[in-house]
Amino acid sequence: MARVEINMGLNRVEGDLEIGVTLEDGVVVDARTIGTLYRGFEQILVGRSPRDAMVITPRVCGICGTAHLYAAVLALEQAWNLPVPANATRIRNLCLMAEGIQNDLRQTFLFFAPDFCNPRYQDHPLFAELMAAFEPFKGGLHRETLRVTRRVVEIVAHFGGQWPHSSYMLPGGVVTPPDERRVLACRAVLDEARAWYERRVIGAPLDEWLALDSAESLFAWLEAPARAASALGLMTRFTRSLDMHRLGAGIPHMISFGSWCDPLQPGSHLLPAGFYDGDSGRVQALDQARINEHVRHSWFRPYAGGRHPFEGETVPDFQPGGDRYTWAKAPRYGDRVVQTGPLAELLIAGDPLITSLHAAEGGNAWLRQFARVRRAGVELLRARRMLDELAANLDAPHYLAPPPGSERDGQGCGMVMAARGALGHWVKIKDGVVERYQIVTPTAWNASPRDSSGEMGHWERSLIGVKVRDPDDPVEIGHLIRSHDPCLVCTVHMLGSGRKLRFAP
Amino acid sequence: MRHLICFGNDLHGDDGFGPAVCRRLAEQPLPADVRVFEAGTRGLDALALFEGCDEAIVVDAAEPAGQPGRLAFPDAEICAEDSSLPGHGAGVGYLLRALSALGTPPRLRVMTAEAAALTPFQPGLSPPVETAVEEAAQVLRGWLGAERV
Repeated sequence: MARVEINMGLNRVEGDLEIGVTLEDGVVVDARTIGTLYRGFEQILVGRSPRDAMVITPRVCGICGTAHLYAAVLALEQAWNLPVPANATRIRNLCLMAEGIQNDLRQTFLFFAPDFCNPRYQDHPLFAELMAAFEPFKGGLHRETLRVTRRVVEIVAHFGGQWPHSSYMLPGGVVTPPDERRVLACRAVLDEARAWYERRVIGAPLDEWLALDSAESLFAWLEAPARAASALGLMTRFTRSLDMHRLGAGIPHMISFGSWCDPLQPGSHLLPAGFYDGDSGRVQALDQARINEHVRHSWFRPYAGGRHPFEGETVPDFQPGGDRYTWAKAPRYGDRVVQTGPLAELLIAGDPLITSLHAAEGGNAWLRQFARVRRAGVELLRARRMLDELAANLDAPHYLAPPPGSERDGQGCGMVMAARGALGHWVKIKDGVVERYQIVTPTAWNASPRDSSGEMGHWERSLIGVKVRDPDDPVEIGHLIRSHDPCLVCTVHMLGSGRKLRFAP
Repeated sequence: MRHLICFGNDLHGDDGFGPAVCRRLAEQPLPADVRVFEAGTRGLDALALFEGCDEAIVVDAAEPAGQPGRLAFPDAEICAEDSSLPGHGAGVGYLLRALSALGTPPRLRVMTAEAAALTPFQPGLSPPVETAVEEAAQVLRGWLGAERV
């Protein structure tokens, strides 16, 4: 038996996230995800004015700053018990959807699909088609995605002045009212994105695609020439020919914080929150009190077991040489390891097609990517609805000033579905300043290290059992890692050769 | 309009060349048709900075090659092929390739200063690169016709 251990150097320049794998006879038998960068955003916030979170936390990420802003403002509104006008929620939702469309399309066509152009596949019958579509900077889909995604975040700029790192939400609403000019400008951007998505991504009208409700109807639908030639059709035919619908399931349990606050029913979501129990196959109501984070395998000041974010701390404590291996914590739901992202979001919300596919084949790398393409369609539809509702209520308020004395000490949490899944901010305010601030990102859930019981995180689990044909070009691992939408430049270490492979965005 | 777009990270030693040039130029009067941007380590979203201008000037640090602080003016097409400019994940080269894939980019000029060494998480420029900031600012003011302002 050939067992190959990994030679793992932690280089902070090359990547913020590394994955070490051990192969035995060409099969992955162990995996570790390593966050190589201590970020420290929570520590930055301690002692500051609570409102500073709305300027500082959108800087956590250059892709999903709107989601961080949204979570930060919800946490303060909960702590201060502030009402939010419907138009503010509509504008927040619209911008979060635009950011999601940007991410879902870029991740799919700029980061996931280019791996299909690997010379490994040059004898595959679809190779010429794949190159014509997905070859970086040359393929039609690649170039068009660059153009469309550059435009779609202009929606955020119309209301937030800039994207990324914008700070246009504040407790009680948003800074910019809707007006006809903004609504029309956003409609134009959205209509263009939708027309492209229909023509090139799915090869069909959006309503027809979203109405598909079963695995059988999907595969029959994809047979038609226009759909088979679409980006979704091509990607599906190719990835399923690689058996990616049988690979990389990872952890069966899933979590969603609910997508987009309901403008008219505070506390509810347009797509519901929930916990999907992978053992029973049932969705349960989400109980945020069950969320806790472990640091047993992380470089933070040790504490026993898991802590709820309201009681959490993020005190760096680098301890090389032992069994701690990452700057990421291990979030858990109760004692369950979970995954999150578009698949979790749509499955928990009861999307009939995703539910049917999941029932037929279980979770897998193809379905994860497929769900991301489908969510972009859901976002296009819902964003248009937000705009229509704004257009019908142009004179309604976009901001309700907090009454004097409302900014008191207390605690609050803000939970949203970001592009990559469940994102939460937890804040405790004492003597008018932040006493504790905890951020649990989607990637913290998915790329989690082992917890106090030694249970692997989702990405780690998803790699176990993968067969690698050529350890010098482990394209199988690349497909799997990218299907998770890694949020940081991700380096994978293989073997003892010192060879590193980078999987960026 | 002309856009001066400076890339780099102040926290990584000489990778802070671009931001330092940006600050130096921002202290001085510039022609009305010039806008100066500090683009940091931004990725594809920096494409927006190349819109709405006839000419874009990119300023960045270059890898160490034995002559720290040496200014160079590489062809934008060559930069696009060689994304080895250090420190920004996908890199400025990737960005320039994306820009040209999108259609007709503005006229592009590139200025780099050679780093003394790659020093992650150590703020502050090395002495030769510090000197190069002033030299670069003078060259750029010449390009921009700022002496006449």
